[in-house]
Amino acid sequence: MDFKSGFDVINREGQFVNHGNPICLIIPEYMNKKIIEKGSKKQKEQAWKNLILTEQLRGRRLVTGLMSSMFSVSNKLDRTIFDAKNAENLPGTLIRHEGEKPKGGKTVSEAYDYSGSTYNFYKDIFERNSIDTRGMKLDSTVHYGLDYNNAFWNGTQMVYGDGDGEIFQRFTKSIDVIGHELTHGVTQYEAALEYEGQAGALNESFSDVFGSLVKQYALKQRADKADWLIGAGLFTNKIKGVALRSMKEPGSAYNDPTIGKDPQPGHMRNYVNTSSDNGGVHINSGIPNRAFYLTAIELGGYAWQKAGKIWYIALTERLRESSNFQKAANITYEVAGTIYGKSSHEQNAVKKAWDQVGIKIKAMK
Amino acid sequence: MKIKVERSGGFAGIPICNEIDAKDLPSGLARTAKKIMEDKSVPSLSIKSSPRGAADHYTYKILIQDGRSQRVIECNQYNIENDLKSLVNYIERNSKRRMN
Repeated sequence: MDFKSGFDVINREGQFVNHGNPICLIIPEYMNKKIIEKGSKKQKEQAWKNLILTEQLRGRRLVTGLMSSMFSVSNKLDRTIFDAKNAENLPGTLIRHEGEKPKGGKTVSEAYDYSGSTYNFYKDIFERNSIDTRGMKLDSTVHYGLDYNNAFWNGTQMVYGDGDGEIFQRFTKSIDVIGHELTHGVTQYEAALEYEGQAGALNESFSDVFGSLVKQYALKQRADKADWLIGAGLFTNKIKGVALRSMKEPGSAYNDPTIGKDPQPGHMRNYVNTSSDNGGVHINSGIPNRAFYLTAIELGGYAWQKAGKIWYIALTERLRESSNFQKAANITYEVAGTIYGKSSHEQNAVKKAWDQVGIKIKAMK
Repeated sequence: MKIKVERSGGFAGIPICNEIDAKDLPSGLARTAKKIMEDKSVPSLSIKSSPRGAADHYTYKILIQDGRSQRVIECNQYNIENDLKSLVNYIERNSKRRMN
């Protein structure tokens, strides 16, 4: 591909297309939006053209709607933490707003600090402006429900339970949990992966991938030093387990008489067909999770720099609502080739990783 | 009459199953169970309905068995009927739990 002339570009179907636009679609959406915010007049005009073309190809939303929302962009981190006071009404009572001194206890501080860490990760590494690229407020509710063993993203905010003290501790305890939940928001505004079957498992996997990267970035850990665990420290000491999921060795995170054994497969031969959990979205996510881990280890260094970049571009630029594992494999492979070159070490690492979890890269039509 | 609640999903993704005999329910909830068993206006399958982008929510499969009759309802935390939610909450707190 000739980046300078811009005549060969890659579209969302994975095809190389000829195009006369000198900047064209190879520029990620977030970068075009950044140029619109901060570029010169000429740069802004070109970025608008790129963005409109991208939107038309995606057929995702009307440009007019996008234009109006682009004028209400905020560039500041804006967190609000609410307390549900063990009820299930959202958002609850406002406890702490952006810039205020710590108050409300440890759980409030964790939700506040770790959502800030996640925001900064996306901003620093991918120049992403919050969940929606337009500075969306980050609302969190803590102390949700009574003995509530869960954390979830409801489409507009994050929600955290305190745990029952028997199996789980509070869900704000792990930074990767908060990175995971916020990433569901990112996915909602990007690939919008359906929450069902393989698309749903990819949705879960991207949240685990970037949840883990948020933690690694906060700790400044290289790939080979990271634990690659999701939810480490959430279990009480009554449970035999180190975390909820292991990206390195899916299926090995816990084995306990009360909660059973970690059911995640790390290879397609062990793919679980089930109707529960929206078609096993938290189970089969082990397969793409391991593909990411293997890619990151093969590439070495900080996992967010190369493997993370490939996965991020795939999520934000190429994957669609119904994408499956095969599509994710093909697309990450193509993105690696686009960024680092055909048959580059990076592209081969992606191919090898998917191969190791039982998915052969197929050439796109 | 027996009521079984299978809960799956959630961030942890750990499925939990609880079962109770209707005679062990408070009278109000036993009436609720009987009503749900007979009231076909309660939809049997609404599991796919959830807010756009929502993730890590609980999904439920509720089986009510009365002799040879059985009613199965599948829903999630967003669309579960209020009466059914009260019944599920009681069963999850007061019956023997087993992991699937």
